[in-house]
Amino acid sequence: MNYPIWEVPIIGGGWLIGIVAIIHVFVSHFAVGGGLFLVLTEIKAYKNNDPIILNYVKKHSKFFLLLTIVFGALTGVAIWFTIGLVNPQATSALIHIFVWGWAIEWVFFFVEIAAVMLYYYTWDKLDHKTHLIIGWIYFIAALLSMVIINGILSFMLTPGKWIETRSFWDGFFNPTYLSSLAVRIVTAIVMAGIYGLLTATFIVEKNNRHNVLKYSSKWVLPFMLILPVVSLWYYFTLPDIPKEIALGGISFVSQTAIIGIIVGFLVFLIVLIFGYFNTRLFTKLIGIVVMILGLSIMFAGERVRESIRKPYVIYDYMYSNGLIINEFDVIKEQGILKSAKWVEIKEINEENKIQAGKNGFKLYCSSCHIVGGYNDIKPLIVDLDEETIAMMINDLENYRGYMPKFAGTEAEAEAIAKWLYKFNLENKKEQ
Amino acid sequence: METQVIIPDIDPISVPAPIWLLKILLLLTFTLHILAMNVAVGGGLIAAVTEFLGKKNNSQNHFELSRSISKMLPPFTAFTITLGVAPLLFLQVLYGNFFYTSTILIAWPWLSIIVIFILAYYGYYLYSFRWEKLEGKRFVVVLISALLLAVIGLIYTQNIVLMLTPEKWKEIYFNNPHGTSLNLSDPTVIPRYLHFMVAALAVAGLVVIMWGIKKIKINESLGKWGIRYGILWFIVPTLLNIIIGLWFLISLPKNFIMLFMGENIYATVYFMIALLAMFVSLILMFVALNSAKPLAKIIIGKVFLLLTIVMMVLMRHELREAYLQPYLNWDKVQVEPQWGVITIFIILLLAGIVTVIWMLKKSFGQKSNVDPVELS
Repeated sequence: MNYPIWEVPIIGGGWLIGIVAIIHVFVSHFAVGGGLFLVLTEIKAYKNNDPIILNYVKKHSKFFLLLTIVFGALTGVAIWFTIGLVNPQATSALIHIFVWGWAIEWVFFFVEIAAVMLYYYTWDKLDHKTHLIIGWIYFIAALLSMVIINGILSFMLTPGKWIETRSFWDGFFNPTYLSSLAVRIVTAIVMAGIYGLLTATFIVEKNNRHNVLKYSSKWVLPFMLILPVVSLWYYFTLPDIPKEIALGGISFVSQTAIIGIIVGFLVFLIVLIFGYFNTRLFTKLIGIVVMILGLSIMFAGERVRESIRKPYVIYDYMYSNGLIINEFDVIKEQGILKSAKWVEIKEINEENKIQAGKNGFKLYCSSCHIVGGYNDIKPLIVDLDEETIAMMINDLENYRGYMPKFAGTEAEAEAIAKWLYKFNLENKKEQ
Repeated sequence: METQVIIPDIDPISVPAPIWLLKILLLLTFTLHILAMNVAVGGGLIAAVTEFLGKKNNSQNHFELSRSISKMLPPFTAFTITLGVAPLLFLQVLYGNFFYTSTILIAWPWLSIIVIFILAYYGYYLYSFRWEKLEGKRFVVVLISALLLAVIGLIYTQNIVLMLTPEKWKEIYFNNPHGTSLNLSDPTVIPRYLHFMVAALAVAGLVVIMWGIKKIKINESLGKWGIRYGILWFIVPTLLNIIIGLWFLISLPKNFIMLFMGENIYATVYFMIALLAMFVSLILMFVALNSAKPLAKIIIGKVFLLLTIVMMVLMRHELREAYLQPYLNWDKVQVEPQWGVITIFIILLLAGIVTVIWMLKKSFGQKSNVDPVELS
């Protein structure tokens, strides 16, 4: 209501955030788990006095540096850029609540970046012990940055007592804080193993390649078994409505979850068969396939987590369209067009009704429904007449589940309905 | 339409720190970010020119220098991002309603920063890791990377100016809600941008001077050449920047020019100190150019340059406050400091700094002949 709405065609702003976020999440979890992978593998190399494993870790660390420090860091900034553009009101709220959380995360980020560079640049310069300490510093800083950001992310779904107390700590240590942190840490370790499997395929010498493959599999397999357990824990910490959505309340959400579980099972089998028992058969292609499947699991997980928050961006505090729940009654009184700052039409009359409807839709609905694009509104209203559409809008939260209450006036609902009904008329003409 | 200027309301959630603290942190981290950016962008441009001159004159000195710069570019690019995240964070708490709005108007150019940055960054790594193998292509690789980073600066300047001029928002948005607008028509954008970029060359010139000083112990003629070359890179852009600075000043609306001419005591004092410090550093560098023992002059010159930069940052801040003065009343902003978390932040910040210093000491301190500038 407060900010101009950026019109993103076809995919909409929500998916834009999704695309950027998923890329970042894939690299950032690796940045955490991979840190542990590096130091533990380095220790193993020293212990067994194994120059080939050592050489492998060195090479892996270069890949690690180039991937995390450039791609990981910048896609993280990209999420921040994107949420500010797509949902400035929510970003502003999060920044106001958690600016010091972010400031603390920034300290860890800084240490992390310095440590990973020095770790890579000092392989042949430092004694083993000091080099390992720098590796540990990297891992701990990376882990701690996850520990912080997880508080802010989980807050959005379960703000818990913050809604009443408005206290930083209540928001940070919210009801799903621990369970979602557990899911993220286990995922990070699995990812480290998956990346390890891929880089291992580049080792030319056979026996060593097999050893590293087997070693990396041991990072994937046990933690793939723990992943469902922590996920289940996460599920039980959720409030009722998100639980309901996940269990079929919105069919694509539960479908996504099921696909995620099946793909997870597949990854487990592939890694068990080719990564552990038949390492001869683990080719680069399989490495890439496992990587892509791994990406799909994370994609499914994040997608489900985002979807069960409907219709809120910050649960019980702000709807996805940026409306602050506390302000609902005031807005309802005067309508959304008058409350909104960035619309051209403030008063509805007979001439501008359709245009007003378009404005109203953009304000209230376009954060989730893109005309002719993602979650297209047209097929959802195709059989309805104008009055029914208006009735549905007025009673939004009851007609289809998990939509926000409508904060507009009846005239605004009629205007939106009139504009939407135009699509049905166009449709009929075409037929 | 009842109003000509639309500005989003301040967030209903109170600001979790005193405004002065956030402003100090904003300005401090911004200064550090600018210094890192100067080396990353200015250093890249100097490396490109140096590669070109080295090839043209078949000069080993030039290649010695460009090799060293190539190793500095990736870490300084990393510092630029890391140190850039912090001021962007504090900016959003202080000026979020202005910043988000202007960003939405130029959304796609703004988002393109990420892609441009990734390309430039990998370009720098390519230049650094494949320096020998690239040979003749080095000039092109480093030039393109540096120019890409410079483009990011131009997008930033446009946004930072646009957020200060809400008068323009309405027309831009209602003509184009797709976020593909630019803000190049503002007469202050180009001089403001060039003022930053040319200063980057001068600051990177100082890094070249430091490199020369380090090299003197190993190879006297190379070191002396490096010092002279670096001083020239400092002097020429700084002289040029006097003209650009003047251009920037007169491009500003008249009431803002007057701020620096006595109307605002702080702005005027900052401006005077900045000018004075800049001239002192310039004169010292001129003297150092033909001096047998230039070290002391260079060090004092550097201190004065740093002072100039700090003053410039403060002037920029005064200008921002003046731009926003009709739209922003700090007394109306609700403040509820989270002192507990702030304390934790400060403790962790200190611990983080100590950790990084310890790691740097371990990495570069063990052998005294290792060049601290050369991060490899």
